Amino acid sequence: MNGGHGPGGGHGPGPFARGIAWATALYLLLPLSIVLPVSLTDQRFLSLPKHDISWQYYHNLFTSPLWLDAMAQSFWIACAATAIAVICGTLCAIGCWRLARRSTEVIRALMLLPLIIPSIVYAIGLYRYFAWAGLLDTFLGVALAHGVTGIPYVIVTVSTALAAFDPRLEQASRGMGASLRQTLAWVILPRIMPGIVSGGIFAFIHSWDELLIVLFIASRNVYTLPRRIWNGINENLDPTMAAVAVLLIGMTLALLLLDMALRRRREG
Amino acid sequence: MSHALALHGVTKRYGNFVAVDRVSLDVAAGSFLTLLGPSGSGKTTILMAIAGFTVPDAGRILLDTKDITALPPEKRDFGMVFQGYALFPHMTVAENVAFPLRVRGMGRAEREDKVRAALDLVQLSALGDRRPQQLSGGQQQRVALARALVFDPALLLLDEPLSALDKKLRAELQEELRALHRRVGRTFVNVTHDQDEALSLSDQVAILNHGKLIQTGEPAALYERPATRFVADFLGKSNFLEATAEGGVLHLGGLDLAQADAPASGPVLLSLRPEKIALLADGETAANVAPGKILSWSYLGAGYSLVVDTPMGPLRASLPSWRAPIAPAEGLAVRLGWAADAAVAVAEDPA
Ligand SMILES: Nc1ncnc2c1ncn2[C@@H]1O[C@H](COP(=O)(O)OP(=O)(O)OP(=O)(O)O)[C@@H](O)[C@H]1O
Ligand SMILES: [Mg+2]
Repeated sequence: MNGGHGPGGGHGPGPFARGIAWATALYLLLPLSIVLPVSLTDQRFLSLPKHDISWQYYHNLFTSPLWLDAMAQSFWIACAATAIAVICGTLCAIGCWRLARRSTEVIRALMLLPLIIPSIVYAIGLYRYFAWAGLLDTFLGVALAHGVTGIPYVIVTVSTALAAFDPRLEQASRGMGASLRQTLAWVILPRIMPGIVSGGIFAFIHSWDELLIVLFIASRNVYTLPRRIWNGINENLDPTMAAVAVLLIGMTLALLLLDMALRRRREG
Repeated sequence: MSHALALHGVTKRYGNFVAVDRVSLDVAAGSFLTLLGPSGSGKTTILMAIAGFTVPDAGRILLDTKDITALPPEKRDFGMVFQGYALFPHMTVAENVAFPLRVRGMGRAEREDKVRAALDLVQLSALGDRRPQQLSGGQQQRVALARALVFDPALLLLDEPLSALDKKLRAELQEELRALHRRVGRTFVNVTHDQDEALSLSDQVAILNHGKLIQTGEPAALYERPATRFVADFLGKSNFLEATAEGGVLHLGGLDLAQADAPASGPVLLSLRPEKIALLADGETAANVAPGKILSWSYLGAGYSLVVDTPMGPLRASLPSWRAPIAPAEGLAVRLGWAADAAVAVAEDPA
């Protein structure tokens, strides 16, 4: 974490900047500092462990069909949403890059709308359309919603990768007789693959812990992990939810670390 | 089979700016043409038009007798070495060279044979498994050449292939490029702004300025008989004598000039190469003699470059340093002499 550089640059962070950086980091970790101990509680309700640390709720999580089912649903929905986001986002980013007109700037900005529009507004809108299309409370509907809202992440990372792509490589490829499809498959895609993978990871995380849209468009059939937690909190205070939360965070963290590791390997 | 290339009145405009102005060129099959000109003179634009990446606003480009002006680049079958080489960083050297063959759907066995032959041609057989980033500049350039030649292109286009290299390596690769051209017998079109490269490599040199073709010809013909002041100045060094002809005699600075095939009257611009001016010993004479004093001099290893103040103005002369008859010094009085056929009349460039 880069607490801050003096205006001169090249100096290490001062004590003030360093303090703020650590405070920020701790603040970000704060929820975890509650959830993690609670998930290890020996009590029967959401609370800190009293006498002993217990793994019973993790055991519960991995044996209860309800939670296992939610986990599987979340996982497959995230996979499908990632596929949609990666395919659409990559194609859109490449298209805008190739045409490179003022109009494509507008299109690119439009594709970032899901990041800008409040989720709740988006969810309400989706509800109306999905009701009309019969997609409410279906796997496909949730995957579509998550996929579309995941597109901006892919567009941003792929566009960044394309900005660093040497356009002469494309010319060289065409000059040697490659069709557009061959150039895409053999030259452009391999060069921007790191950007695509990064975007895919973010799109997966986005779907993995998305709650608001699911609350609107799912009811009986589709139960993702975040929705299961939400319902659990409203109905009973089962500490298994803390274990699930730790699992959610753990998955996200693992993916972020994967992304970082891939980046480092590419640069190193 | 090598192919001939012809440009007829090729013009390219960017808005109101004319980057290439009615350029017509004929490149014989199997010959080596170099486009030479200062930065911004339109060399790359012409090469890109030949390759098909830019479509000219006017004019035609013919390969043998076929009009290819509007043919997209991937249909032209031309090999190209880009400035900076444009090797694919995610492929090995061998994969880079195999790329044009893969594009053409060639089988693996045949592909590998051709790649091996192409790498042999540029003496890189040992490095097939490396990535381009792991090669030196000269090796990368040879990979680019192998990749451009492996599919037997109709034409090889080179955009400043040697400009990124240091002087010594450049000289070496010039040799290799020449040898390669002789071996493969293809038609080469090369772009450079390095006059030495143009002179040493090419069968034909085309000199460009401000998008216009000024003169084409064999290197020696261009050097010995430049058509305009720009050509004389851009190819090598030259003194310019602005003389006046009167009754078949040239006058300049109160002296008469003996000049072969001088016009009868009017102003005449002569280009006189420094190496064609000799330092006269006492009692020695020449068709043209100009006395003067050394204004400045510099030592260049193989010779000295002198600037001598004469009644005709300052003249640049070169003097071999090996057993030089004088030790150059500022203010030293010398006599310069040159033959009647040493200078050539050139035209003033249109502004
Ligand atoms: N896409 C473009 N838009 C506008 N002007 C251009 C474009 N491409 C080239 N030009 C202009 O056309 C002229 C010729 O450019 P070109 O690249 O052919 O020069 P060059 O002879 O290759 O120069 P160099 O030796 O610097 O590479 C230049 O003045 C350049 O600014
Ligand atoms: Mg150029």
